Amino acid sequence: MNPLLYPIVIPFIAGLLLYVIPRRVKGIHEAAALLVSAGTFGLTVWLFLQKPMEWTTQNSLILRLDDLSAFILLAAGLFGFLIALYSVIYMKDRNQRSMYYGSLLLTLGATCGALMSNHLILLLIFWGFLGITLYLLIQSGGDGAAPAAKKSLIIVGGSDALLLLGIVFIYSLTGTFEMDKILLSFNNGLVTWVFVLLALSAFAKAGSLPLHTWIPDMAMHTPIPATALMPAALDKLLGIYLLGRMVLNLFQMTGAMNLFLMIVGAVTIITAVMMALVQHDLRKLLAYHAVSQVGYMVLGIGTGTVIGIAGGLFHMLNNTLYKTCLFLTGGSVKYRTGSTDLDELGGLARFMPMTFLSFIFAALAISGIPPLNGFVSKWMVYQGLVELGREGDKLWVVWLLAAMFGSGLTLASFMKLTHTVFLGDSAKRAGRKIKEVGFIMWLPTVILAVLCVLFGVFAIQVPLKHFIIPAMGSDIEYIGSWSPGLATVMILIGIGIGFLIYLAGNLKGIREADSFIGGEELDSETRVTGTGFYNTIREMGMFSRIYRWAEDKWFDVYDLGNHLFSGIGGVLSKAHTGVLNLYVFWFVFGLIVLLIVLMGGSL
Amino acid sequence: MNFIPLFVIVPLGAAFLMPVVSRLWKGMSDVLGNLAALFLMVWSFAALQMGHETTVFYAGGWEPVASIPIGIAMVMDGLTVFMLIIINVIGFAVTLYSVNYMNHYTDKAKYYTLFLLMMAGLNGVVLAGDLFNLFVFLEISAIASYSLVAFGIGSEELEASFKYQILGGTASTLILMGIAFFYHMTGTLNLADASTVIQQLGTHPGIIFVSILFLVGFSLKAALIPFHAWLPDAHPSAPAPISAMLSGVVIKVLGVYALIRIFFNVFGITAMPSVLTIFIVLGSVSMVAGAFLAISQSDFKRMLAYSSISQIGYVLFALGLGTPLGILGAMFHLINHAAFKSLLFLNSGAVVYRTNTRDLDQLGGISQKMPVTGITSLLGSLSISGLPPFGGFWSKLIIIMAAVESGHFALAGVAVFTSIVTLAYYMKLQKEAFYGALKASFGKLKEAPFLMSLSVILLAIVVTGMGLLLIPEFKSVILDPAVKIISGGLNYSKLVLGG
Repeated sequence: MNPLLYPIVIPFIAGLLLYVIPRRVKGIHEAAALLVSAGTFGLTVWLFLQKPMEWTTQNSLILRLDDLSAFILLAAGLFGFLIALYSVIYMKDRNQRSMYYGSLLLTLGATCGALMSNHLILLLIFWGFLGITLYLLIQSGGDGAAPAAKKSLIIVGGSDALLLLGIVFIYSLTGTFEMDKILLSFNNGLVTWVFVLLALSAFAKAGSLPLHTWIPDMAMHTPIPATALMPAALDKLLGIYLLGRMVLNLFQMTGAMNLFLMIVGAVTIITAVMMALVQHDLRKLLAYHAVSQVGYMVLGIGTGTVIGIAGGLFHMLNNTLYKTCLFLTGGSVKYRTGSTDLDELGGLARFMPMTFLSFIFAALAISGIPPLNGFVSKWMVYQGLVELGREGDKLWVVWLLAAMFGSGLTLASFMKLTHTVFLGDSAKRAGRKIKEVGFIMWLPTVILAVLCVLFGVFAIQVPLKHFIIPAMGSDIEYIGSWSPGLATVMILIGIGIGFLIYLAGNLKGIREADSFIGGEELDSETRVTGTGFYNTIREMGMFSRIYRWAEDKWFDVYDLGNHLFSGIGGVLSKAHTGVLNLYVFWFVFGLIVLLIVLMGGSL
Repeated sequence: MNFIPLFVIVPLGAAFLMPVVSRLWKGMSDVLGNLAALFLMVWSFAALQMGHETTVFYAGGWEPVASIPIGIAMVMDGLTVFMLIIINVIGFAVTLYSVNYMNHYTDKAKYYTLFLLMMAGLNGVVLAGDLFNLFVFLEISAIASYSLVAFGIGSEELEASFKYQILGGTASTLILMGIAFFYHMTGTLNLADASTVIQQLGTHPGIIFVSILFLVGFSLKAALIPFHAWLPDAHPSAPAPISAMLSGVVIKVLGVYALIRIFFNVFGITAMPSVLTIFIVLGSVSMVAGAFLAISQSDFKRMLAYSSISQIGYVLFALGLGTPLGILGAMFHLINHAAFKSLLFLNSGAVVYRTNTRDLDQLGGISQKMPVTGITSLLGSLSISGLPPFGGFWSKLIIIMAAVESGHFALAGVAVFTSIVTLAYYMKLQKEAFYGALKASFGKLKEAPFLMSLSVILLAIVVTGMGLLLIPEFKSVILDPAVKIISGGLNYSKLVLGG
């Protein structure tokens, strides 16, 4: 058996076995999932070092591991393992363990398969199969998850049908299903369709507008590690992988197509972050950020410049690191407090220091604070846009403003999150004794947070050099001079001086008091929470109406489609009155039409 | 003794024995019914083993004289074997299921009698080598179906059966009328013989008129829009195993098979390309409208019934493309649909058996209490929605590839769109019936009885593994012979008459 098959076949077999083992048997599921995901991670590391590799059978190149897929495969293996590790404790008392762990391993195997497929039909199979495992993972969230599971599979599985059509069109244009033999240029109207169909299925997977709406819904009901696994990590990797593959290998891009991507990217950044700002739930807020960040990747890839595309891919990698970390720390909060409602949380930093530290680094990374990794990749996307401007594009300022504004809003919403969850007063719920989560749960979050720092400080030396630049196939010219190492030193010095000043200023000692209004101490019900400040945005004249529309789901493709289809179906149903005469009339009508059509010539 | 007539003789004989033996011992009807069905299933696999050569059986030894057949002929070729497998495998699953399920009703012996008559009719239709026998067998199974739909004799069942009879009867009349004209024009009823005569006649207006009568008559049996109106009442009202049979098998045999045999093998589709266009139009309209109708239903079985219209639309659409790939897609989708739709109807029966309702608004969360039903129905739903790696994915892929290959880009888009709508209503079905919070009144719900579960598990295995039919070893045995006969068109008469 070709080694490329191992990371696909092993998780598949193990996953299917786990479905069969009854949930009463304790420990087996966890042990198997942990072992297999660790093994898969090991395999992906080994394969990364062995690349490039190929598997040819019956004269067609079925699986291929090249520079682009190799580093994404490595990332997928890492996340599979870390999340399996985290789940061991998080999921231990749940009923649906056998479904959860089985689906987790199948997801991992199918992801590896999708990343390595060179044959488009094989890609399609893994791609569609991931929709099913997503459905099952969401269903493992219990009773309340049913509507979200339905919605997710309709959007993700529906986009799979679009991918199918795109692939069939490719076959009719090129006569092959093998990706390495395909290079389409936009000289035919059909190619535009192919591009849009493929892009839509990538958007649905990655969670970009307009097909992102399953993510906030599913995040509310799915076990948090499953949210961290699929929409935050693996689905993002896959969606952007497909987009990257399209732009780098499958299509000869044109300005119009890049414009399409950039519009989608910019709109995604802004609208999703605006939605994130006003959320009252930790999971939903993170979910909207999971959408918003995709915008940067799409925007970067849409610039069509080498540095922009590299930035987009790097941002994908960075985003999965910090977003998975954020979801997992959110999970730890839920695990200890039983809630993710921001109004019920607060002051957790002093109880859960490891969780807080991981969270704060990931939050700074996602907000694009140097020297963390989020900054580097955003900076590269900005450079891509500037480069675009130098090439004569008129609209580059618009995209740049959207991206920078979005970044600012991201910071704003994470300040809210940090404050309401970890700082400030302890909320009522938090009043009871809260402990830090166990070692097994905080270890994955700390690893991810450390990676966020390392990928930022040593961006050029490690991730860009070994992962991104080989995948691009050409070297990157940096416009701005940004030396992460030097900057880190400067920043650390700055922080050090600031701390000294702080100490100097407080030498006399200050008095600490609880918050009060008019001399009265606040009880927990009237306490000031961070969320309150952000209601201002919601109440601003122009925004209030848009937010209301958004909450009534006027911007949700799924709900619009639902209304439309049910409406048409309702009209058609009404026509079926049950009156036999009418039915006989239809029959006769059909007969007459056929008579006219077929006999018309000879009468 | 030739083995071909046993496909008709065994169920017919068992049907008439049934009232007698059930007098002796009550449980005997179950045993006899299942033995007969098991025999037929094994026999159909034996037919597969016999090879793919066209075999003809002349009743009473009346061999043709100078290549002109004079007696009744039964013809078994690749297409027939393909249909026999569908009929008899689903037939066995359904009889197995009926052992428990029909305890709900009073007279099991009568049920089995009617059911076996229906089986005899269905097997007869696909084996008939002449038009008149085709019609006779068609009427046998149609009349058995009418009574089976009314088997519950509630007001709803009787009304549905009445509509079914009126519309079915109208169609049968048109078909009979068509046969009369046909005989007048060709002087023979033997399909193979008539085919050679028609080729000599050329495009005669009379032939076109006959083809319209057949087209309309058999389209009603296949429930294509606008001839579909009986189906949404009849299929849900029947007892669940019969619904499975009607949707899974009957519409395909009486409708699609007959259309294929007459238009591809007898008239010759190349001589009347406009019929292909009509297939495409009827197929696409049924496909889209059926899906929209299904999405707005809140009755479990009615949703499945409308879904059948939509899926048969896919089959006709693919047939209408006329290319070998399209025909392959059509046949593959036909057998897929037989498997997953029977499975889903049997699941609906299990739900009704335990909860006494099929209203989706009153159901919810029953997967927790009935895991076998829940999981098998999920497999069926995923397959019919065309998600990989299940069978439905592959047949839809082939159909869409065939559409693009023959230049129907927009229609390929329509087929893809419909498959998204299909996914949407099956997800609705899953959510409303099987997932979500368990209704308080279902607290003591139990899984369906053993044989019912066994039957759906068998079908679920078939549904899951159906994609394997594309592996060359299986494809060359099951799908290819059928496709060869259809795309071979007028070669049929040569194969039968041996000229």
